[in-house]
Amino acid sequence: MSSLILPGPRRGVRERLAQLHWPLIILLTMIAGVGVITLYSVAEGNWRPWSLRHGLRYLVALSVLIAIGMVAIRHWMALSYPIYFAALLALAATPFIGEINMGARRWIELGGMQFQPSEAMKIGLVMALARYYHGLRAEQVSHILYLIPPALMIGAPVGLVFIQPDLGTALLLAATGIIIVFVAGLSWRIGMIGVAGAVAAGYSAYRFEFLKGYQIERILTFLNPDRDPLGQGYHLLQSKIALGSGGLDGKGFMNGTQSQLKFLPEMQTDFIFTIFGEEFGFVGAVGLLILYLAVILTGLSIAMSAKSHFARLAVIGVVATFALYVLINTGMVMGLAPVVGVPLPLVSYGGTVMLTIMAGFGLVMSAHVHRDHDVLRSSDLL
Amino acid sequence: MPVINTHDPERQEIVSRRTFLFGGGVSLLFVGVAGRLYQLQIADYDKYQDLAQDNQFNRRVLTPLRGEIIDRFGNALASNRKNFRILLIPEQSRDINATLDKISKYIPVSDEKRARIIREIRRRGAFTPVEIKNNLSWPDFSRVNFELPHLAGVLPDVGETRDYPLGEASAFVIGYVGAVTDKDLAAQEGNDDRTLLRQPGFKVGRDGLERTYEKELRGQAGKMNVKINAHGRVIEELTDEATPPVQGKTLTLTIDAELQQVAMKELEGESAAAIVMDTVTGDILVMASTPAFNPNDFNVGIDAGLWKSLTESPYKPLLNKPLSGVYPPGSTFKVVSAIAAQVTGVKTSQTAHCTGKIWYGNRYFHCWKRGGHGTLDMKGAIKHSCDVYFYEIAKKLEIDVLADAARKFGLGQTYELGVPGQKKGIIPDREWKRQYFAGQPENQPWFQGETLSVIIGQGYVTSTPLQLCVMAARIASGRAVRPRLVRAVGDLVLPEPSAPLIDVDHDYLKVVRAGMNAVTNEYGTASRSRLEDPNWQLAGKTGTSQVYRITTEDRAKGLAKPEDLPWERRDHALFVCYMPYENPRYACSVVIEHGIGGARAAGPKAREIMRAVAAKNPAARTAVDPRSLVQRATAKREG
Repeated sequence: MSSLILPGPRRGVRERLAQLHWPLIILLTMIAGVGVITLYSVAEGNWRPWSLRHGLRYLVALSVLIAIGMVAIRHWMALSYPIYFAALLALAATPFIGEINMGARRWIELGGMQFQPSEAMKIGLVMALARYYHGLRAEQVSHILYLIPPALMIGAPVGLVFIQPDLGTALLLAATGIIIVFVAGLSWRIGMIGVAGAVAAGYSAYRFEFLKGYQIERILTFLNPDRDPLGQGYHLLQSKIALGSGGLDGKGFMNGTQSQLKFLPEMQTDFIFTIFGEEFGFVGAVGLLILYLAVILTGLSIAMSAKSHFARLAVIGVVATFALYVLINTGMVMGLAPVVGVPLPLVSYGGTVMLTIMAGFGLVMSAHVHRDHDVLRSSDLL
Repeated sequence: MPVINTHDPERQEIVSRRTFLFGGGVSLLFVGVAGRLYQLQIADYDKYQDLAQDNQFNRRVLTPLRGEIIDRFGNALASNRKNFRILLIPEQSRDINATLDKISKYIPVSDEKRARIIREIRRRGAFTPVEIKNNLSWPDFSRVNFELPHLAGVLPDVGETRDYPLGEASAFVIGYVGAVTDKDLAAQEGNDDRTLLRQPGFKVGRDGLERTYEKELRGQAGKMNVKINAHGRVIEELTDEATPPVQGKTLTLTIDAELQQVAMKELEGESAAAIVMDTVTGDILVMASTPAFNPNDFNVGIDAGLWKSLTESPYKPLLNKPLSGVYPPGSTFKVVSAIAAQVTGVKTSQTAHCTGKIWYGNRYFHCWKRGGHGTLDMKGAIKHSCDVYFYEIAKKLEIDVLADAARKFGLGQTYELGVPGQKKGIIPDREWKRQYFAGQPENQPWFQGETLSVIIGQGYVTSTPLQLCVMAARIASGRAVRPRLVRAVGDLVLPEPSAPLIDVDHDYLKVVRAGMNAVTNEYGTASRSRLEDPNWQLAGKTGTSQVYRITTEDRAKGLAKPEDLPWERRDHALFVCYMPYENPRYACSVVIEHGIGGARAAGPKAREIMRAVAAKNPAARTAVDPRSLVQRATAKREG
């Protein structure tokens, strides 16, 4: 295989460490730091049960990021399909061997550790799509035949996650996949047709009452067992009250009355942005948004400077996933998006999501460290 | 072999363009999110700030302690005591049934009660505490407290409840409190007290003084803001800004708790009433009624079986006999008959010869003494309670004159005591009869024969034990003494009711007093009821009022004596008296329902009560000064 690859200049470990994108690492660490202090506040000034573990997990995840970043991008490209199919297999197996949690099968036990195949799929799908488009020429991207494999690649995991049921993750996977296809160069015409078709299908289903109101309710409840329209309305209102009463500069660290008084559910996970926004106000919340945007734009600049097509698309996929997390979560707690249970990356408490995000940024890092490497387009060799 | 060309400028250009587009789109969305933040945190800040305040604070009503009711010497008749309760917060209990099972090990929880608790939980939600049991004994309460670590969601609570230390003895004086009804709430429409009445476990006066003085006893609610969390649980009490509740006013009565208990003990086993009052001030010292209920059973919610037995008992334990029991006064009425006779010109020296009966109209009128009394003057007629002597007077006595005398001496009217349900009784006269027989014109005129019945306290005439006591007091003092029960409300001492001289020739009273003295002290009808202490010479008058006339048929069946009759047909026994004979201070009346004879049943009871009164002589002791009472201002906090 090495003959197929144009190796860039080979460098030693020390040199490669120096090549790491340190500003990106600092940005990510700052965001995780926000998580640590906010979780400390949520626990009413205690390192336990969340804050300390969050910090430690971040350090572990950061070493994973660096480790992945040190490995040449061509190796990751070579592993793309295996990772994707392994994740797909695990997803397919989840309904049979998975653990039921909150009414849904999402987890499987692996060597005594809980493992969520849908999380692995977030990276697997990005890698597989990047790998696929790496092999296509520009004119092939919008060819209808070449659209079938990515459609299947996206459709299979989305379908499997959808029936778990985990609506939020399914939508996230679909959106990420579509963004990659779009960035890869899908013609506007086909894009428009797709969007128009989806809107028409949705509207006619609604207009011609293929589904009755209570059926929609049932489907939504089935897809998301945590759903409780009344409860959500209440939680959303409480979230808005907490954020709004934070004002310009917030109520101060550990002084978030609304959150301390437990008006909010899931404070350590889905609603953590509200807590932060209440205590640090508009200034703090916008500051956090700027950190996120800085990570995203840094990621995109890394994508632009990468030499290989695979690296570019994989980085964009990872950044897209990250951006979607942030936008859906913040939109959700402010009533701009439905409450679907998406965490705020690196701030919300939760090890699996953090590891996924950081592993993804490992790829970004690898793309940066090995930005001068190019990889042969395998299709040209066939 | 194709050229290995990884450089595909067209492809790279598209990706770059699309990446810019994507980056721009994401940045725009971030600006949108920030805009939303601006809207929430800057533009609508005031609105959410207010909502946050509402979220956090809740106004709590602080229930005031109910005012105490004390006797003339400051002894508690109604006070407040700790009520140990066990509450359950459903949200904190993993399994309600399991928790209730565990609790049943220490305090019994019936299936019926359990069903009620579960219903309550369903109705009120998981965060509102529900009462499992109240009024627990200290041992039970402490046992549950000890086991608390194993009882998830169980909350021990100490509230306040009404306590009547005298129990039955004070039932009719004080009344009782009970739970608030919808009617009570409707009556408080638009009133601040409405919130107070809605407090869980709040009680209002249901009967007696508790009901009449509800407004004064209730006190004023306090207010406090509390910080709560989303579950309504109190996080912090903001005591700085709190208005403390004000306890209700203390009610100081004229009652002497000690003597009240003596009287209750004396009347035990009888269906009876006894009243003792001060002939100078009108203070009621004793107001006893037996059998009585225990008001403590009422304030924690009376049990259905007990209620049934109370309402169905022939001894009427729910009837306030001293005020609401009406009885023919019988021969006790002769004291006013003697006054009326003198008003119409009969001299006390006038005699009559009693052979045991006289013929009047179309029938015989019998004297209680079959063989007759022989020749008697007015004092002798009172002493021996001769019916024939009074029949002779009645032949020429105008009924309106008799009725007027009766009213002057306190019969046929009610008094301001503050206890609801007082009866007026009947003092018949021509006008009364016209109205009473409004539909029967032939019965409307007064027949002189009826005066013969009324003059010995039979026929239409009825009175309450209270009125009889007032009568004795007025005979003794010559003044229109009016009874009272409440000495002070809070620190406001009520003025003694005025007692003007009675508008009759006071010489007329002499023979009555002498006759009453003779009844007990000169071997009259109640010589057994005399008091030996010369300082407390007791003057009395017996009465036996007929409930059922023994017919010829009864006699044929051998039912000659009243003892042979069933209880409810036996005569009532009455006794009125005052002491000391010279310079009187206390008057007393005793009515024993179906006690058969005034001399035999009622007299000795009155004597024992008066003996205790004489021993204590409450009028000579300093009563409590209501202005010196310290109101307990401690707040009762809602649990």
